[in-house]
Amino acid sequence: MRIGFMVGILGGILLAHAGYATIQYRGMLKIVEEEFSRPPMNVVVELLLGLAFCIWAALAAPAKFRSIHPDSEENRIVSLPANLDFMIFNHRGKVFPCNAEYKLKK
Amino acid sequence: MAREGDRGASGGAEDDPPIFNAENLQSNIKSIHYSRTFLSIIGGVIAGIWGFTGLTGFIFYFLVMAAASFGLAAKAKFSICTYFDSWNRIFLDGIFGGLMSFVLFWTYPLVRKKFVVNCC
Repeated sequence: MRIGFMVGILGGILLAHAGYATIQYRGMLKIVEEEFSRPPMNVVVELLLGLAFCIWAALAAPAKFRSIHPDSEENRIVSLPANLDFMIFNHRGKVFPCNAEYKLKK
Repeated sequence: MAREGDRGASGGAEDDPPIFNAENLQSNIKSIHYSRTFLSIIGGVIAGIWGFTGLTGFIFYFLVMAAASFGLAAKAKFSICTYFDSWNRIFLDGIFGGLMSFVLFWTYPLVRKKFVVNCC
């Protein structure tokens, strides 16, 4: 996640630099009285690179996906709390099918 | 043992709706929402700097969203059913919500420039 943030910040810096370069370019075009159609090629490359970094950061920085199936391996409850005085086991959950072949997860 | 937010639906019959861990599903949906919002803003900034006008800008937005959808599907290791209840979550949700953010950041420098030029 930290790497995602750093890559996102790098992408933002690239975009800011590209924006500044475009403003300078537009100012130069005003002096020579030409119309702005698109930024110079190096700015376009910088924009695409910044976009790539930001896409990578947008996918890497938020939390990882977690499985939604209650019987998946990562959702298994592997230990009981230390204080069992308030634990109830005689509830409606007994209608769920039970897999008797589960081994203890270490 | 009781666990809050654990079950989406339950029952003993054969044709019951599937049971999901609602907490994890919500976390996954939030993660997609953050990604799409961030990319909508970045897409708007790039479209503004590049100087896109009219339909070209919207086409650029949908291209960025398509890339985001592909990236999200890859993040889910292309097994959408493990992490979401429907394919629409990855491919459709959040696209039109992000469109407004995109337009805001796309047109912001143009509006500001026009305002500053007219004032001075």
